[in-house]
Amino acid sequence: MKDFVRKVSFGVGPDERVPTDPLNWAKNQLNSVPKLKWDGKKIYTEKELREFQNKYSLKERKKIRDKYKNDPDTLKKEQRKLALKTGRGHWINLELGIRHTEAIHSNSPVFTKLWYFWANHFTISSIKQLQQFSTGAYQRESIRENMDQTFEKMAFDATVAWPMIRHLDNSQNIGPDSPVGLKRASRGKEATINENHARELLELHTVSPNSGYNQDDVIQMSYLMSGWRSRKNKEGKFGDVYFEPNIHQPGRKRILGLGYNEGEKGLSKVIRDLSKNPSCREFIAMKLCRYLITDYPSKEMTKPIVDAWKKSDGYLPEVHKAAIEVAFNYSPMYKKFQNPENWLLQMVKMTGANIIPSPKILDNHVLGNKINKSQKVLHVLLNSIGHHPYFSKQPNGWSDISDDWMSPELLIRRLVYSKEIFNKIKKNNQSNDFYAEMILKNFDNPNQILKTLNKRKEPIDRHILLFNLPEVLKS
Amino acid sequence: MKISRRNFLKSSATALFLAGFNLPVLANTKPKKNLVVIMLKGAMDSLYAVPVIGDKDLEERRQDLILDNAVKLDTDFALHPKLNSFYKSWQSNQASIVHATNIPYSKRSHFDGQNLMQSGGHIPYAVKTGWLGRGMNLAKLNGDGLALQLPMPLLLRGTSNNNNFFPAKKKLPNKEILEILKSHYKEHSEKDLEEMMNIISQRSMMTGETMSMSRDNNSLAFKAGSELKKVNGPRVAVFQVNGFDTHAAQSGVDGSHTDSLIEMDNIFNKLNESLGKEMKNTLILTLTEFGRTVTQNSGLGTDHGYASAIFLGGGLLKKSQVYSDWPGLKTKDLFQGRDLNSTIDARSVYASAMSSVFDLEFELIKKEVFWGDNLQNLTNILFKA
Repeated sequence: MKDFVRKVSFGVGPDERVPTDPLNWAKNQLNSVPKLKWDGKKIYTEKELREFQNKYSLKERKKIRDKYKNDPDTLKKEQRKLALKTGRGHWINLELGIRHTEAIHSNSPVFTKLWYFWANHFTISSIKQLQQFSTGAYQRESIRENMDQTFEKMAFDATVAWPMIRHLDNSQNIGPDSPVGLKRASRGKEATINENHARELLELHTVSPNSGYNQDDVIQMSYLMSGWRSRKNKEGKFGDVYFEPNIHQPGRKRILGLGYNEGEKGLSKVIRDLSKNPSCREFIAMKLCRYLITDYPSKEMTKPIVDAWKKSDGYLPEVHKAAIEVAFNYSPMYKKFQNPENWLLQMVKMTGANIIPSPKILDNHVLGNKINKSQKVLHVLLNSIGHHPYFSKQPNGWSDISDDWMSPELLIRRLVYSKEIFNKIKKNNQSNDFYAEMILKNFDNPNQILKTLNKRKEPIDRHILLFNLPEVLKS
Repeated sequence: MKISRRNFLKSSATALFLAGFNLPVLANTKPKKNLVVIMLKGAMDSLYAVPVIGDKDLEERRQDLILDNAVKLDTDFALHPKLNSFYKSWQSNQASIVHATNIPYSKRSHFDGQNLMQSGGHIPYAVKTGWLGRGMNLAKLNGDGLALQLPMPLLLRGTSNNNNFFPAKKKLPNKEILEILKSHYKEHSEKDLEEMMNIISQRSMMTGETMSMSRDNNSLAFKAGSELKKVNGPRVAVFQVNGFDTHAAQSGVDGSHTDSLIEMDNIFNKLNESLGKEMKNTLILTLTEFGRTVTQNSGLGTDHGYASAIFLGGGLLKKSQVYSDWPGLKTKDLFQGRDLNSTIDARSVYASAMSSVFDLEFELIKKEVFWGDNLQNLTNILFKA
């Protein structure tokens, strides 16, 4: 029961009680989207942050590069100045503060753990400066806000979110027979589709290669998606995503055996069909089980989730509840290797370690000023342990397979950063008594753990041992 | 069950003994050969690093990127003047270049390209192991890979017990704690964790000196060299150098592309220094995802292109040479009218290198590691058998 609480959340904190009915405690968090716990002065919208990124545009940076092209030292200084002025380096700290406050201080840690799952499913990888400005806000607005909606709604909103369109180049996806495409061709210029987004929408976001789509489907999908773009003005500033008929490939499209009329409505229609495709629910059910239960889930595990999806038409609260119930049923048999961020948050939650910068510290930051250590502590930590949620290298996001988190150096990071975190725990909570109670609250097999911990006397040694035991590394 | 290298040697030794071989002599005649791979990320500009001499097209297209004092290598090619260590090796027949080469990928995405240069495949992300890991597995080299970075690179996956090194700059907990954890892992049948903890607690690399050690490639290369030198040490090391994506300010000998090239050159230097005599049994090989446009852009940089070059170093090379089937730089010769064309599949070089270092038949590597793709055997041209 206690192991299950850690599995689906981050454990029980120092001032919290063990839920008496953990399964319902978990399920009850999933009906609606709770208000964010962060009480800073302001949470910025993706659109607002895009304005800051616009000021850090390629064009602005190129101006500096051209001006100092023969003076690398000044070039570096001026680049830094522009970065600080536009909040590059600051927004990440603010967003991580918001993100981690939900895990540690909210009443909905189970909801939060699933939020992290979806944010990673619809990954924005660290390119085109998106990680610096947009990713955090996108994960709140397009992902978190849709967790009490259908999968179809979340998939559509994520697809047409500006960061995603930018991330996967759909603005450059031009129908060759569209008015603009034909005009360019007549002037001897190339106008082509860009398959990037279309392919990822099929492969990573919805039906997966298991659905058996082929290259023609990808091309047809690109045709269908052509027109969805964000306009870049002459200064290189990006506007909202909209549908531009002049670059949309005319004619009917055929994807996975279904037909779509030309025009703006094609995208919502195809996402509706993809969401209803059996491969989609099987893929997502598998990924949920992989995230919560085990690397290679069985059909028996995924079936209840698939059934809940079918019955509710992909209504996410029902899908989530089914996944949590499966996790509950398999909890005694399967322990899932925790990715570094979730491991870190478990440690912070259970010990009450104080690592999240206060809203005040972040609110007091003045754009243009140097960013100090206390502001970027989470950012630095996540980079050090090798798992930063905004810096995924690939559009397929961070891996949920244990092997990808297994290297001697990555284990060393767990050893040395558990030690670091110990120093962020307030004195009262560092005592052996506190740990005894914390272990009792958080583990079904406290004796086995205490037996190993008791081989050392010093609180810090016991702390390091605890957070590197398989009972914690795997939940 | 995973067979560790030592176990494998033991069991094969038994087999050989039964067959009547004289073991000590056999062991002495087979030197330990090492392969070092340096991944040059961001697309290395081969026309900048190894320019073709006196080519009017190049001079016209890159007025500001021509290096005045490039060092002449042969009648056709010159070398960036700051690649000092590489040139020193060149003079002692321990450096080569394969020019106008690339993996079979022409779409200019760093991301997909870097995946493919490691997997050796055709479709990005489709293959979950690296060509080097598969090659090592074929040669039964388990526990012989060392990555000089935090996660295990795709390139090395496909064989077991790989090690990595990237200074944490924080003190490891004391030995007793590691031992307690190890026995706890063992008691609870946590094989992977136990295996890693074994590596961590046994390896010589985690000494106090690494605390102050920098994470730069200079220090990492020196460390890697000293590990490769050991008889029981790793046989394969993997590095990465970033920053080759110079869309601007690439210009001149002191430009940003040069910084990355120097970083690569320093790895050659430090490996030479720390491997010493063992350099003669070592091969260094570079990878990059693609090359850069022939024509400079208005920011005095270059954009994503197609073919690039491979740098090779070490005593397992046949001789110093620029090996190329030069495609030319006239517009009609260029890939899509803009990029240096690729006339050699880079994987032919990778496969030939493994054939030489791992003592495996080229054809076997071609079949087992590269799915029987049409690769050229360059072993006899580039490497000592």
